[in-house]
Amino acid sequence: MIIVIGAGPAGLAAAEAAARNGSDVALIDSASRLGGQYWRHRSTVTGFHSNRADELFAKVRSAQSITYISEASVWSIEREGELIRVNYLQGGAESSLTAEKLILATGAYDRSLPFPGWDQPGSMTPGAAQALLKGHGVLAGQKVVVAGTGPFLLPVATGLAQAGANVVGLYEAHSPLRWLLSPKALLLNISKFGELIYYARLLRQYSLTPQFGRVVSRFDQGRVTISRVNSSFALKDMKSENVEADVVAVGWGFLPDLTLGGIAGCKQRVDSDGTAVFAVDANQLSSQPNIWIAGEGTGIGGADLSLLEGEIAGLVASGQNVSSRLRRKRGAKQVFADALKRSYPIGDGWRSWSQKSTTICRCEEVTLGDIEESVVELGAEDSRTAKLFTRAGMGLCQGRVCSRNVAEIVAGLTKCSVTDEECVASSNRPIAAPIALGLLGDGKK
Amino acid sequence: MQNPDAIVIGAGIVGASSALSLTNAGLKVLVIDRGAVSSGTTGAGEGNILVSDKDPGPELTLALRSRDLWFEMQEDVGDSFELEAKGGVVVARHDDGPLMKLAAEQSEHGVTTEKLNQSSLHELEPFLHPEFHSGVFYPQDAQCQPMLAAAQVIRTVIARGGAFVSQAKVTRIIVENSAVAGIETTQGIFKAPIVINATGTWAGELAQMAGSDLPIAPRKGFILVTEPTGKYVFHKVYDSDYVTNVASSDADLQTSTVVEGTRSGTILIGASRERIGFDGSMNYEILRRLAAQATSLFPVLRDVQLLRAYRGFRPYAPDHLPVIGEDSKVRGLWHSAGHEGAGIGLAPGSAALITDAILGRQSFMDGSPFSPHRFAKVSV
Amino acid sequence: MSEPVSFTFNGAVVKCEQGQSIAAAVINTGTLTLRTTRFGEEPRSIFCGIGICFDCVVVIDGVANQRSCLIAAKPGMKVESSS
Repeated sequence: MIIVIGAGPAGLAAAEAAARNGSDVALIDSASRLGGQYWRHRSTVTGFHSNRADELFAKVRSAQSITYISEASVWSIEREGELIRVNYLQGGAESSLTAEKLILATGAYDRSLPFPGWDQPGSMTPGAAQALLKGHGVLAGQKVVVAGTGPFLLPVATGLAQAGANVVGLYEAHSPLRWLLSPKALLLNISKFGELIYYARLLRQYSLTPQFGRVVSRFDQGRVTISRVNSSFALKDMKSENVEADVVAVGWGFLPDLTLGGIAGCKQRVDSDGTAVFAVDANQLSSQPNIWIAGEGTGIGGADLSLLEGEIAGLVASGQNVSSRLRRKRGAKQVFADALKRSYPIGDGWRSWSQKSTTICRCEEVTLGDIEESVVELGAEDSRTAKLFTRAGMGLCQGRVCSRNVAEIVAGLTKCSVTDEECVASSNRPIAAPIALGLLGDGKK
Repeated sequence: MQNPDAIVIGAGIVGASSALSLTNAGLKVLVIDRGAVSSGTTGAGEGNILVSDKDPGPELTLALRSRDLWFEMQEDVGDSFELEAKGGVVVARHDDGPLMKLAAEQSEHGVTTEKLNQSSLHELEPFLHPEFHSGVFYPQDAQCQPMLAAAQVIRTVIARGGAFVSQAKVTRIIVENSAVAGIETTQGIFKAPIVINATGTWAGELAQMAGSDLPIAPRKGFILVTEPTGKYVFHKVYDSDYVTNVASSDADLQTSTVVEGTRSGTILIGASRERIGFDGSMNYEILRRLAAQATSLFPVLRDVQLLRAYRGFRPYAPDHLPVIGEDSKVRGLWHSAGHEGAGIGLAPGSAALITDAILGRQSFMDGSPFSPHRFAKVSV
Repeated sequence: MSEPVSFTFNGAVVKCEQGQSIAAAVINTGTLTLRTTRFGEEPRSIFCGIGICFDCVVVIDGVANQRSCLIAAKPGMKVESSS
């Protein structure tokens, strides 16, 4: 049997490909519906090229050999000889599944950068605005600002506008001219122009004009400060404008959730954008035998690449060959993914947006001033030590939101760069989801 | 720093305390560490400053003095590092005979003990399982935040004329005429007539560089950390099995129950001991055992969620006593290591012993039981 | 159409559709603040919306630290900002 963790594009493609080739598959996911984040829906998926989602859902639902386990939160993975045991929480109880093979497709989450007021109610990620809308039919607010960087801002802004929100501003930190750095990517992925035209039409329909080279530098009780930045994200001049909005949805690309692969012992590497990702071979095989990784966990690349990686993982795990055509398609999407990184890098000027009182670790309410003190006064030289001194990263989210930011702040203060080990170690979490001590203890041998 | 009077290798709590003690005695001290402050066992500790878990003997004498020195150190450094005389409550899970006998002996040797019956026990710990009917309260047991403490102590050492060089790995101990002359590190050579080995689990490795044998080995332990939760545990609470485990040498896994609350609202749960070398891998079965033990003590914890777990390596010597004193072969080379799970509690006391010995003055106790000479091979 | 769901948030009745999360239901009533932080008592709301950040945690029927963005509202649930 093959266990697939994650029912977004990569996991669905993997499960479908494996089942199609005769494997029994257990598809485990924490949400109540298929689709992960990318294809969030209540009744049907909407958006560009959304019919491929419905097609894949239908195939997965009708496949006899796929057992779909929903609303299940995997908290740990153990090896039992040749077998892999996946422990999960579902309906207030603990269960587990054992299989010979595992495919991890746990996706990614929005990267956030701190600015004064980013922790106030109304400040959220574009993913949150999207999840509320697509997953629950709720508009996060009446007047919304969408900002940050990356193509994800387009479906979020247009989706909100289509649902009736007043999108008062759409701010992209980078210049669109950065795409000129990647002509090959554009040529290999002509279909992306179709997607661009789709969104351009929607922007025009709702009178949304994206502004470039701008960021939200402050949010305070409904007042949004928009500032200009240079290509490194440093604030450019004292001139800024204010906009009224009850919601600011700000996102800075994505970070893969590496927790489960880390528990399983899969080796990581640092991608060209400084993001820790899993190292896989041409067949999506990780450093651990019988564990494959597909989707954002191998490098942020979007749904198209995730689908292809998932299919390849599913095929290989079922003992099938992968056609060179499939490999070429994945190659083209990888070129596009690299272009995304080149077009939307996160400039380190973001560190200048925060003040001493700005919260950096939301869970433990640790400010920039606290972190600076831990470095300057107490001699913290890396993020691990800063974490031990300030508690940054020790709260409920276990550093998922803040640890990369803390590492970069500490590196900036010590005038060093974040080491690869530090980058990789920050996602080292033996407990992937909180588990009640009673459940944990009851499961002892 | 040119020509320090003493070099302390290791910027954990033991090294930091030693450096402060020597600095206060008028020496110019250089502290070095191959990492940053608290990068070893100190960074994985709970912050225990206990007298309750020690049998009468040299370690208890050291622990009692060291505990008081912690409060003096806090006054001296002028910072809190969350030092709190929290008090320990030891409960007997089964027969309370051994616990009461130990408490009686301890109280004859300077430990304040208070016998607890069913009602007084539950007054101190209302959420403790009603089936516990007997225990002992140790008001002298205390708690601190050890990483903060080490960092703040080092900061004080620097403010008083000392120095700290991090990311400096020792590659050679320079010995001339059977006396230490300095050290060679990845950050350069430092000369001093006194070198203190406060490298915890690596103390044996470092001693080897000088040709000495210190049989210090790691004893792995896990700690569970819960989500921030209600105040359910008011002291450090543990069952009397903890004491037996500390003193044993069994290679197999041993677990006992230790539960305490923290300032940040989380609850810490231990304790496990394994001789498994430096294998740092996670062991979920041990986590389950620790969870089950904790909930048997505090049923209310059944609904509290585990958020994270981490492990550390306690440095221990085969006779479970710390190693404090001058090397048997190399003059001027001093060791302060092998404190096992009591490193934090015993740090300032060990620092006082070593400082007194280096300065040739009488100390608060006879330190010879801790001497590294006990490991010297008898040459035929 | 399925039965509407009714639950309480800090004592006030909230109505929503089947399958909607607690956070979505509360936000839909126009209330953004879901809780206040334990040290600084600062108001917080939904942030990541997908169960990563734990900013949206509430107490559900006495059990603390439950992610309101992930949990579907069930009839009769007693949801509070803190216990």
